[in-house]
Amino acid sequence: MTAAISFDGVSKSYRGGEDAYRTLRNDLVWLLTMGRAQGDPRGTVSALSDVSFEIPVGQATALIGNNGAGKSTALKIASRITYPTSGRTVVRGRVGALIEVGTGLHPELTGRENIELYGRILGLSGREIRSRYDQIVDFATIPDAISQPVKQYSSGMQLRLGFAIAAHMEPDILVVDEAIAVGDAPFQYRCVERISQLVKEGRTLVFVSHNLMAVESLCERAILLSSGRVTHDGHTKEVIHDYIRQVHASLATDSRQPIGGQSIEIRDVTFHDARGRRVTTVQPGDPLTVRLHYHASSPIERPLINLGIGDPAMGVLTMASMLVDGQDSGVLLGEGTIDCTFASLPFKPRIYDVFGSMLAGDGLGKIIGWSRWARFQIDEDFAGKDGKNVVTRTMLSAPVMVPYRWDFGPQDAAGEIRDRDKHAELIES
Amino acid sequence: MTDAAMELRPAPQVYEVDSRGYRPSVANLVEIWHYKEVLWAFAVRQFKIKYKQAAIGIGWSVLQPLLASLLFAVFIGRFAKIGSEGLPYFIFALAGMVAWSFFSTALAASADSLIRDQAVVRKVYFPREVLPLSAVVAALADLPAALVVFLVAAIAFGHRPSLTWLLIPVPVLLLLLLATGLGFALSALNVYYRDVRYVLPFLLQLILFASPVIYSARVVPESWRFLYLALNPVAIAIDDLRRIVLHGTWPEPGRNLVAFAVTMAALAIGYYIFKSLERGFADRL
Repeated sequence: MTAAISFDGVSKSYRGGEDAYRTLRNDLVWLLTMGRAQGDPRGTVSALSDVSFEIPVGQATALIGNNGAGKSTALKIASRITYPTSGRTVVRGRVGALIEVGTGLHPELTGRENIELYGRILGLSGREIRSRYDQIVDFATIPDAISQPVKQYSSGMQLRLGFAIAAHMEPDILVVDEAIAVGDAPFQYRCVERISQLVKEGRTLVFVSHNLMAVESLCERAILLSSGRVTHDGHTKEVIHDYIRQVHASLATDSRQPIGGQSIEIRDVTFHDARGRRVTTVQPGDPLTVRLHYHASSPIERPLINLGIGDPAMGVLTMASMLVDGQDSGVLLGEGTIDCTFASLPFKPRIYDVFGSMLAGDGLGKIIGWSRWARFQIDEDFAGKDGKNVVTRTMLSAPVMVPYRWDFGPQDAAGEIRDRDKHAELIES
Repeated sequence: MTDAAMELRPAPQVYEVDSRGYRPSVANLVEIWHYKEVLWAFAVRQFKIKYKQAAIGIGWSVLQPLLASLLFAVFIGRFAKIGSEGLPYFIFALAGMVAWSFFSTALAASADSLIRDQAVVRKVYFPREVLPLSAVVAALADLPAALVVFLVAAIAFGHRPSLTWLLIPVPVLLLLLLATGLGFALSALNVYYRDVRYVLPFLLQLILFASPVIYSARVVPESWRFLYLALNPVAIAIDDLRRIVLHGTWPEPGRNLVAFAVTMAALAIGYYIFKSLERGFADRL
């Protein structure tokens, strides 16, 4: 299989900082002093370092990663807008780039003139452009404004027109950069539909988006970039899983502070599975024991402990409370542990917080205020689960799992046919 | 898309990019040729925009040199009494102004072309040469009307149409090639050094005074004249235009050949500068 795009050891660095714009004066000084003036003033920022990959013809590939990871730079190199500092790229075919669509339209020209101009730039003949003209106007839903200058368009209209042009010029390679993140919901839906249609037609797609659900449902392969390097390249589900785990984990780099009141301190919080082994990650639905390692310097009588498990974004999802269950904790003195075992955590894969507090025996005085005590992870193996959005839906949407099933009631297929016949009769009569 | 349409599509082109700098190649010029329709579209666009919101539209391309020549005729011809090769000063100056306004419009538009269309340069690929070239082409579109007015005025001043008028394209070609070459260099430098924007008006003024627009090339001493005309293609273009239209004589081939050689050298150097800087355009704009 031939590669539509291949990157071979590609690096790209930009001139950075205050030297981003040169002035004649600076460069003249630099030239005249043979570079001795202030050393080379050209400080650089590296956007890509030693990136290699091949995208076969017809494959839908996503580039994912945090802001500044180098995704857009890679796209711009693939579409020959910018050039590598070192390394080599080969691109086979006409590239239709949707890089920040809409912003490249010419404001003084009408919608129609922009369609013609961009059609030419993307390599179509006048006849080919005219044959696509109606589709483009339809898709952009701007029939009335098409003869007005684009500067009179709303930003939404500009975006729709920009996308419509690029998506209908039928390039061999479609490069889409965050194009669909900005439109309204119906337009986003149509964009994804159009892109998947192009993919089905066998066009090569390179897709950059922070919308991981769109990535998962559109692309078979994903390349994870971090700080300009390829850190994972493989099946989309694996790569997204890996990426979301990383994102969650980066949230979880907690600075552990001693949790404590005047005479008692929780020195450590550990997690254990059903067999008592210490763990940091459990599977959804597994039991989990939270073990509090305390040190009391003077006797604490019947303290009431509350433990909550929460999602960083959604707050506390479940709670164990001695205030509610009436558990008697006796007298705590010296070193010891308290276990709280949750029989099952029906939560989806992500990072969870453990919050806690300790109240005086009368339920009024606060010994340790409500605060975050620890973090653990629930994770799942997605191998063999090939639902369309199984990874992103599971990891990014509603966290609580409740067993469920679907049932379909009986249907009367003949009813539809009867109705249609009745309709036909009405028309005939 | 139907299968039949798929088959009609030519085999995809292969682009290979590495980090080495510009090496002159024929493929490069062939590619510009493939994008001639884009060039045309940009030129048409620029032409449209230029006159879109002006009440008398393209009339300005005629009025500008006419009004300027009228001013010169009054202030320079009448009051300063500068020699005009025995011609009425108005028609003498009009020859200079028609040529000069084409050249200066082409060069100014071309030098600004990459900056003006930076949004497109940052968003989509096409050979970047297209932009300065299209600016020159758009300026060329103004020329026929101005030339017609000049020729009509010449006839009105009693000049008979002559066979030598067939050579009008020669000075036009000289100006066109020179504006293209300088436009390549200036548009590319403009991306890197915004100083160009401020240098350009001064540069144009310099060329204006160094060229026989409002004075005659004959004021240059005989011993220097060959050098003056040969090394400044704008000067010889204007002098040619006056000879061809107003004096009805043939241009001198020797000087013109040298001027063409100088112009082609300027074009080659300008293009080389453009191609050497081209890879950084999208990053600097």
